[in-house]
Amino acid sequence: MPEITNCIRRLRFDHDEMTQEELAQRVSVTRQTIIALEAGKYTPSLALAFRIARTFNKRVEDVFQYEVPIRE
Amino acid sequence: MNAEQKRAWLGVATMAACVVGYLVLLPFFGPWAAAGAFGIYGINGFAGLIGRKERPDERDKAIARHATLAGAMASYLAFIIGCMGTWFVVFAFRHEDQVYVHALGAITQLGAIVFFLARSVAILVFYGRHVEADNA
Repeated sequence: MPEITNCIRRLRFDHDEMTQEELAQRVSVTRQTIIALEAGKYTPSLALAFRIARTFNKRVEDVFQYEVPIRE
Repeated sequence: MNAEQKRAWLGVATMAACVVGYLVLLPFFGPWAAAGAFGIYGINGFAGLIGRKERPDERDKAIARHATLAGAMASYLAFIIGCMGTWFVVFAFRHEDQVYVHALGAITQLGAIVFFLARSVAILVFYGRHVEADNA
């Protein structure tokens, strides 16, 4: 399971229902990567995390959350 | 599906065609001549024409790097097993101290083919799995 989760999907809808394609163009990645990010299948680089956060006028930690894995 | 995935599918499809070609030629020409069917894999040279205008982003590059590493590991493994296996067969069963000259070419080609095939399969697998950027 990925340790880093995000709320990109909710933020897109909060920002005039921004499409995945539009966000992808703004942060210079492919739409496939945005889909992977929203599905939790990709942990982005710091640079991409900052670009996404700034697109939504948020701090990185408002967009991405680090969840400490629970050890049994 | 992006260009990298299309190239990977081309690699897997041409390998499947090689195996089918080998199995078709085998009864008629024997194992060494039938191995010429693996020349079909040369079609992969056209893979560079796929998606030339597409620019890969950081996820594509990360997946390509991980897949190349997987391909290199599989290739090295196949090459070493091929070399050691040949020695074993020669010394254990044939009791000779000479390696059949065609074996050298076959082992080298095996290493190359395993590299490209493993890389293609790894790309297709990694696009469906969780991947981390290199500096994530």
